[in-house]
Amino acid sequence: MKKIIEVKNLTKEYRELKAVDRLNLDIYEGEILGLLGPNGSGKTTTINCILSLLKFKEGTIKIFGKEMNPNAYDIKRQIGVVFQDVAVFDELTVEENIDYFCGLYIKDKKEREQCIEDAIELVGLEDFKKFHPKKLSGGLLRRLNIACGIAHKPKVIFLDEPTVAVDPQSRNNILDGIETLREQGATIIYTTHYMEEVEILCDRVVIIDKGKILAEGTIDDLKEMASIEEKISVEVYDLDPKHLDTLKAFKNVDTLKYENNSLLIVYKKGKNNLIELTDFLKKEKIKYNAINMMRPTLNDVFLDLTGKELRD
Amino acid sequence: MTVFKTYLKILSKCKMPILLYTVLLVFFGGFNIQNNSGSLSFQESKPSIVIVNEDERVGLTNNLISYLEANSVVEDIELEESAIRDAIFYRKVNYAIYIPKNFHRDFLNGEEPYIKINSTGDYQASLAEMLLSRYLNLAKVYRTIFDEEEKMIEKMNELLEKELEVEMTSSLDTTAMEKASLYYNFTNYCFLAGLIYVICLVLSSFKNEGVFKRTAVSSTDYRQLNRKLLFSNGVFAFALWLLYVLLSFVLCGKIMWSENGLLLIVNSFVFLFCCLTFALLLGNAIRNKEAINVLVNVIALGSSFLCGAFVPMSFLPKSVLTIAHALPSYWYISTNEAIKSLEKIEWNTMLPILVNMAVLLGFSLVFILATNWISRRKRQLN
Repeated sequence: MKKIIEVKNLTKEYRELKAVDRLNLDIYEGEILGLLGPNGSGKTTTINCILSLLKFKEGTIKIFGKEMNPNAYDIKRQIGVVFQDVAVFDELTVEENIDYFCGLYIKDKKEREQCIEDAIELVGLEDFKKFHPKKLSGGLLRRLNIACGIAHKPKVIFLDEPTVAVDPQSRNNILDGIETLREQGATIIYTTHYMEEVEILCDRVVIIDKGKILAEGTIDDLKEMASIEEKISVEVYDLDPKHLDTLKAFKNVDTLKYENNSLLIVYKKGKNNLIELTDFLKKEKIKYNAINMMRPTLNDVFLDLTGKELRD
Repeated sequence: MTVFKTYLKILSKCKMPILLYTVLLVFFGGFNIQNNSGSLSFQESKPSIVIVNEDERVGLTNNLISYLEANSVVEDIELEESAIRDAIFYRKVNYAIYIPKNFHRDFLNGEEPYIKINSTGDYQASLAEMLLSRYLNLAKVYRTIFDEEEKMIEKMNELLEKELEVEMTSSLDTTAMEKASLYYNFTNYCFLAGLIYVICLVLSSFKNEGVFKRTAVSSTDYRQLNRKLLFSNGVFAFALWLLYVLLSFVLCGKIMWSENGLLLIVNSFVFLFCCLTFALLLGNAIRNKEAINVLVNVIALGSSFLCGAFVPMSFLPKSVLTIAHALPSYWYISTNEAIKSLEKIEWNTMLPILVNMAVLLGFSLVFILATNWISRRKRQLN
């Protein structure tokens, strides 16, 4: 696959703090890359450096094979950015806002009119064209924010947490829109705190912490990296500390928690963990009900790699 | 054009405040102009007098009374002392002349008969006193020359009837000029309030952090966009100035075509440029839309009161005027006042006006440098 963005040894410092530390990143044509990391991990700084919004100490950034810099307007023409904070004019209507931001890229009025129509259709704002932003709900406002960022039909799109604090209907609409953009051939760099969105959308995921890449690959690749194999939860009664100690001593058990008649065991590796557990419960004549077996989620991988919850 | 069109759309949201400032200007600026009578002609002023004659009305006494009647307005009131005192108190009469008994006989005999007077003490009373003194002084000279009373009166009348021709040396309609300068003094508030309000509001929208970032990542050169914004602000400021100048022609009339009127317009243009640079400085420094209204009130109203835009400078305490020197409005209004009383356009008379305009341009330069410094500092912080 063709590389669209190449980041090599990117280093950005704020006085003594290294926000990005010798970061290398390749982004390929047509993929949706999920950029994950806890708050302050360097995701936004990396994106801002790629977009030339920030100067950096070391490293090179190439987009479409050309060096990126603040005056590389031919490269910028192909990039669309949707920032986390809604950035629109309160004084303009939905249509006028999209027209203004699209006008920063496309000067031809007729071409722009078509782009505006397409963007409005993509985010489903057909009924709100003449509305001012203050009259829109949070979800509709986010959709407008996206439309303003992608109306000029860019080849590379940066989406920085576009679904924060939106209603389920708007979230579905936004996710559908992103899928459509991918189908149209756009390369998308997507940051979010919602693991389920990453699992649905992203072809590849990069996990960043303290300005460094901790892991990257497909979702299955990352799950393979996790030091846990599976989790089993059982509704169980009358479990005493002696039983818990015995269970903890099982070969593959990583952690164990018993609260409100619910036992959760996290296994590191191995097979037949469920059989081993049910055999033990039967032998000890312990009553049990519902049993759930879960594969590790991306959140488990994230927790395992960074030691933090994604929303810490 | 996209930037200019967007500027106009945002500007259209500010039409109410602009309309309000214009209405205020028309109301207050036009208020004094209604009763403008002009002052290009000279009219002789006649005092109101009352004559109490205890002499016979013959000879010199008769001639004195006729002279006074011809050159003043003799009020028809009761010739009692209390009535005369009341008339003087209420300024119905400016001057009361009491001609004593045997005045003409005693005067011709070389005596100095005492003429009692009662006066309001104002300039009209002074005029009456001048008339009386002039007559008596002339009579004193002529009684030494002529022996016959009739001949003396005839020669005196020949001289007294000669009228002085008054030629107005100034072509300036001072009353109309006063009104025009009042109007332009009031524009101090309208220019400051209008430009600060609109430019700060528009720039706070364009330079909102999110919009700024969107623009910075776009394929539009940010410097070019800034130039377009500057052009849009300039067009708006010029349109506002043109509107207020046109209004001055409507309200003040032909005085605006005079050299002084045109100088007022030039001065307002220099001040407009200063206001524009100041508004751009504020617009670059302030992003909070809620703060704009407070700014407009503090700066526009404050400097208008301190510098004599609403009340004449002569009414303001010296300490206030000293502080006002630090504000551009002071130099603008001072120039308006200087233009108002400018008789001839010469290097000497124009020099203080040109110096004031240079001070305004100096303020503009400081504002431009400060705006550049703030913009550079903000870029460095990023």
